[in-house]
Amino acid sequence: MFITILILGFLFGLILQRSRLNTFNTIGGFAMLEDLTVAKALLTAIGIGAILISLEVWFGWASFHIKPFIVGGVVIGGIVFGVGMAILGYCPGTLAISVGEGAIDAFVGILGGLFGGLVFTLIYPQIKPILGPDGGKISIGTLLGGNPVVSFIAAVVLGGIFVWFAFYLDKYERNQLKK
Amino acid sequence: MKNRLSWFWAGVLLAVLNFIVFLSAITNRPIGASTTYPYLADILANLKNSAYFLKIKIPGHWELIFLFGAFLAGLVASLIFKNFKITSIHERWKKRKGSSSLRRLIWAFVGGAILVFGARMAGGCTSGHILSGGMQLAISSLVFGIIAIVSFLVTGKLFYRK
Repeated sequence: MFITILILGFLFGLILQRSRLNTFNTIGGFAMLEDLTVAKALLTAIGIGAILISLEVWFGWASFHIKPFIVGGVVIGGIVFGVGMAILGYCPGTLAISVGEGAIDAFVGILGGLFGGLVFTLIYPQIKPILGPDGGKISIGTLLGGNPVVSFIAAVVLGGIFVWFAFYLDKYERNQLKK
Repeated sequence: MKNRLSWFWAGVLLAVLNFIVFLSAITNRPIGASTTYPYLADILANLKNSAYFLKIKIPGHWELIFLFGAFLAGLVASLIFKNFKITSIHERWKKRKGSSSLRRLIWAFVGGAILVFGARMAGGCTSGHILSGGMQLAISSLVFGIIAIVSFLVTGKLFYRK
């Protein structure tokens, strides 16, 4: 199992390293609205991935692993996360890849992340009440009734919109560059 | 940069990779990264009996190995493709925030702490929520993604003012 996870992590790092999605210039560039690579790649990944995952669940090869909609945690955590990501210019996964490339600021970012994780552990009993209410493990598919075929159709439609939006942003970005 | 993978193929490959990670026969879970941080911090600080550590120890262990693999990829690929560089400051930061390395490192520490704290409140980060959750069309992840990106862009606008 260790080797399997290590190889999967290596492939994850390789994809992001080869597309430069892990670097400060790319992620920070998105915060400055000078580079839309992050948005375009994420939209494409979500769009294509939605179709692939709904298919594998339909065929019985995999299950959904939906995170509960803890309203307080998702909303407040989302705001806090966005602030941190803009200032840092990395996210939790890309930090590790950039350290591999020699980025000292990413190493210090990891130290900050460890500190943030430690503080969260220590105040978890106190903070727990504001993370709720728990809306359950809901998705577009479960809201439509949970039928795998319906989920697949929803994934094709919404996935298509996500990928279309990525190409729309790409076109927008190219036009901005020409100006 | 030559040999750079385009945003489109990076997106497609990330989708295929998550498809593989999801398979019951492979790891039967989604990609994730942020649990690594409290997991490792709690081990170092000897908090292995805390309520939070007990809750996250299984995904935390998985994600730590996963991120170690990602780190190795960063190292190997940057050496092969010659973009390995020991540096604490990057071109776009320099343009907006000046060339003080100390200033960059202080902000990196602060940003990293805020980032992980927020991710743990929400139960996921770019990998676990936006990518893996987005691909499942999960409501929690779609809401997280929209709020996080808006907060990211607003903070970027204020923090990187010219």
